[in-house]
Amino acid sequence: MRIVASASTRTKPVPKYVSIAQTSLQQAIAYRLTTLFTIGLTFIWVFILYYVWKAAYSDQAVIEGFTWDEMRTYVVLAYAINALVGWRIGAQMMATIRSGEVVIELVRPLNYCGTQLARATGFAVVEGILSLIITVIVGLLFLDILRPASPFMAALFILSLMIGFVSKALIVFSVSLLAFWTLNGTGLMWSQQAIVQVLSGTIVPIALLPGWLRLTAEVLPMRGIVSTPLTIYLGQAEGAQIVQLLALQVAWLIVLWIGGNWAWRRAFAAVETQGG
Amino acid sequence: MTAVDGISFSIEAGESVAYVGPNGAGKSTTVKLLTGILVPSSGTVSVCGLTPFRDRVTNAKNISVVFGQRTQLWWDIPVVESFRLLGDIYEVGAADFQRSTAELTEVLELGDLLSVPARQLSLGQRMRCDLAAALIHSPRVLYLDEPTIGLDVAVKARFREFIRYLHRERGLTVVLTSHDLGDIEELCPRMMMIDRGRIIYDGALADLNQRFGWEKRVSVTLTAEVADAHLLALQALGSLPVRVEHRTDASFDIWFDSRIAKAGEILRSLPTSLPVADVAIEETGIEAIVRQLYEGQLSFAEPSEDPPSSGADRG
Repeated sequence: MRIVASASTRTKPVPKYVSIAQTSLQQAIAYRLTTLFTIGLTFIWVFILYYVWKAAYSDQAVIEGFTWDEMRTYVVLAYAINALVGWRIGAQMMATIRSGEVVIELVRPLNYCGTQLARATGFAVVEGILSLIITVIVGLLFLDILRPASPFMAALFILSLMIGFVSKALIVFSVSLLAFWTLNGTGLMWSQQAIVQVLSGTIVPIALLPGWLRLTAEVLPMRGIVSTPLTIYLGQAEGAQIVQLLALQVAWLIVLWIGGNWAWRRAFAAVETQGG
Repeated sequence: MTAVDGISFSIEAGESVAYVGPNGAGKSTTVKLLTGILVPSSGTVSVCGLTPFRDRVTNAKNISVVFGQRTQLWWDIPVVESFRLLGDIYEVGAADFQRSTAELTEVLELGDLLSVPARQLSLGQRMRCDLAAALIHSPRVLYLDEPTIGLDVAVKARFREFIRYLHRERGLTVVLTSHDLGDIEELCPRMMMIDRGRIIYDGALADLNQRFGWEKRVSVTLTAEVADAHLLALQALGSLPVRVEHRTDASFDIWFDSRIAKAGEILRSLPTSLPVADVAIEETGIEAIVRQLYEGQLSFAEPSEDPPSSGADRG
């Protein structure tokens, strides 16, 4: 699994962002114990929610349009998807901002936001995808989750998943920028995690949220992280609805990218870097 | 807040310049302006014909920065992997990369370190690897920010030797920020001193001595404590332009202008009632001059040809 290209064998340059992604992949492998813990933690939540919902469904067949089969599938996959972008890029960014090390990245010929996305991708390949694969296997074998509605839906699910992945990475990026002002990221990270989990539909499907919160969640970008891909996976949307959902995801992606880059320039102009 | 104000200078290609000043003087801000990290609120900045903050990415390929207190190596991966990644980030061609790493590995003796993760390196080893990392893309300008901080004497010497080698072989422009005057004396014929966001000196380091090296100090140690010994000394030296500083009850320093007074004259004039045990005469070295500049005891505004009228009233 280790990808090692020694300097002497570097015969062909790799595009810079790909190379950055490869390096964070290596880092994630270097920290395999942490990675395993992350995956283990995901499973604990999946099992808790699985049994809570099982109890809820003992006396009714459908809750807010979800059958027990669908809900089971939703719970298992929601957590796996949520694990695709972990706390790592956020934590790393905040640490470098706090220590002033961020300066080193700035003297390089890189787009800072793009660099963080490449990093997130590298981590996701190890952490997220591994956890997704394990969850799906365990889910299919032991928890009896549903298969995608159709091969076409499966393809759209993957597309939606990828857009959602980049959106989440951009959200984490933008929130981490607040470290320029607050200097302590732990609280920020926790509140962000909680808010994203609720609004993305990780904890419960958005359809089950109370009225006003549901309306809010339906227009916000967090929806695209978990709820939208799963709606497609379960075949709960079709035709024009799917186009609408994907369009909303793409629109938010553009807004988040532009916003993230703008916020980055503002953050940097406004605040002196730590440690001179 | 104004970090730097009215700073204007130009550095020729291939020049080595030291950029010094007390902590918080605005050195880092200047380096940030030159690397395009900060956008100046007014004024212009140009590096190799580019405006850093506007062409930050293109400018980044021309320059490189080495921070003594920070590493640009990736902490958890072997050094060689950091090099490879940097080669990709700076889009160095395969052949150039090969040549560059081979040369740096040889000159900096990195052979055994390449497979080691950065976190396992000693400070001296890390600094060598960091230097190599900074030079892989063959920059035209190298900024060194406190590069020798914490390094032992031997490593420091090798570092300086390497920078001189680069300067000679590659015609690299070097801008050095350091509190280590040894670095400056050995590497940079030109020194710029900045304080409170302004340039207070820009010229040859050697000229400092001519301009300010006239102040000398006689340190007197007594065999026993004598009440107000320094005042007695000052009284006896009354006619000479000196400044006497109390150190302890059994020792004091006499500062004098060597252009006017002579050390022998001062020693002869000391009152015989003082039980002098030991006398040390010290010239003001570059180090002391710079320290005094930092502390605001010397001023460049003061013309050097014009000795102070009388130092006595300053003590």
